[in-house]
Amino acid sequence: MRYRDKPGLLDRLAAEYALGTLRGPARARFRRWLEQDAALARRAEEWAARLGPLSHSVQAVRPPARLWRAIQTRLGGAPGSAGLWESLAFWRGLGLAASGAAASLLFVLVALGPGAPQPAPAPVVLRVPSDEMPATYLAVLSDPKTRKPMLVAAASRSSDQLWVKTLDPSINVPDRSLELWAVMPAGQPPKSLGMVGRGDKTMLPLHAVADKSLGDVPMLAVSLEPMGGSPTGAPTGPVMYSGPCVKVW
Amino acid sequence: MAGAADPLATLLAACGRGDRQAFARLYRDSSAKLFGVALRILRRQDWAEEVLQDCYVSIWQHARDYHPGLSAPMTWMTSIVRNRCLDRLRKPRLEVSDSDAEMIDNAISDDPGPLADLERSKDAQALARCLRALEARQRQAIALAFYEGLSHAELASHLRQPLGTVKTWVRRGLLRLKACLAEAV
Repeated sequence: MRYRDKPGLLDRLAAEYALGTLRGPARARFRRWLEQDAALARRAEEWAARLGPLSHSVQAVRPPARLWRAIQTRLGGAPGSAGLWESLAFWRGLGLAASGAAASLLFVLVALGPGAPQPAPAPVVLRVPSDEMPATYLAVLSDPKTRKPMLVAAASRSSDQLWVKTLDPSINVPDRSLELWAVMPAGQPPKSLGMVGRGDKTMLPLHAVADKSLGDVPMLAVSLEPMGGSPTGAPTGPVMYSGPCVKVW
Repeated sequence: MAGAADPLATLLAACGRGDRQAFARLYRDSSAKLFGVALRILRRQDWAEEVLQDCYVSIWQHARDYHPGLSAPMTWMTSIVRNRCLDRLRKPRLEVSDSDAEMIDNAISDDPGPLADLERSKDAQALARCLRALEARQRQAIALAFYEGLSHAELASHLRQPLGTVKTWVRRGLLRLKACLAEAV
């Protein structure tokens, strides 16, 4: 990169980045450089430290209480509830879940059956559109606390379309998106499948036919993300719903 | 720079280990200042709330990346908030409200009043002194950019000066500031 040969220019850009006068595409480009160049990132941090004390004279304004509640929700609700606080363990722990689709199928049946410890959820009747038959990949995503099924995802094996049906419209969160992820076998990061629409049915295009794109996927999960989806390409918000992804026939 | 005893540094370190109670205390002790910073730049309550929400999620997730040796905890968190605010500002905002204008005029005047504010915090004394050593127009351009989040074009419009002139003021002002702060160490 030619910019590396110009330390004076770099320092000026770092200063203007910290001051805030570097804007638009130049700012975005400079941020990409920062991510790739530790020495440059250090320069920018030094500038932020030089100018930072200016903020001391800004008047403090107490934010409304709803802000802290919103942050709590983003990070997984009140203390003790499941969410992002446990979600790292969730994404890491999936190696176990990957062991055997048959066991997963059993889990689906147990989760939907009358033996669940929570108030028995209403039985789910799946009507797969007849032109989509046979649906060979199926996932029922439920709320981990109530075990109530909230979403169903289905794709026929030779199709590159994943149908998602929302069973409970209350899952929609204002100003946030629900992002569906293919949770991969141990050691691999989750892959985004797209945003769950606000209506009751969403069609998400798969990057390949289901046999290829879902064949190795043990589980699907939905995380709460900023509008439009995770800015990083990896889940950033709490895992709201999850369930095994099984090959039915 | 951060004293070893800065309680926010201790809280950030605890957040890095996943301590949620420390995070709640960090929020309690820092959110009013950070909200003030966001409101000054964005001038919209709803945007400031959204930005702050994202920033605290980010602070929780990146608490481990904080290096006490490089900057004070408040400086580190403030620069996260300022960066998000600046990313959020897409449209130019040429108007500076009267109260803001007055505050800036005060901050950049040679009268020690508002800068004295700055000097109450020890790590800011050198900065205040070096700002005073700048030419008034350089100081004004830097203060408007920092506090109000004005871009070069917005500065030029607000100060009724050609773009190139304003850019030069900012560039030279920053260079002089750096040199002056380096002497102060």
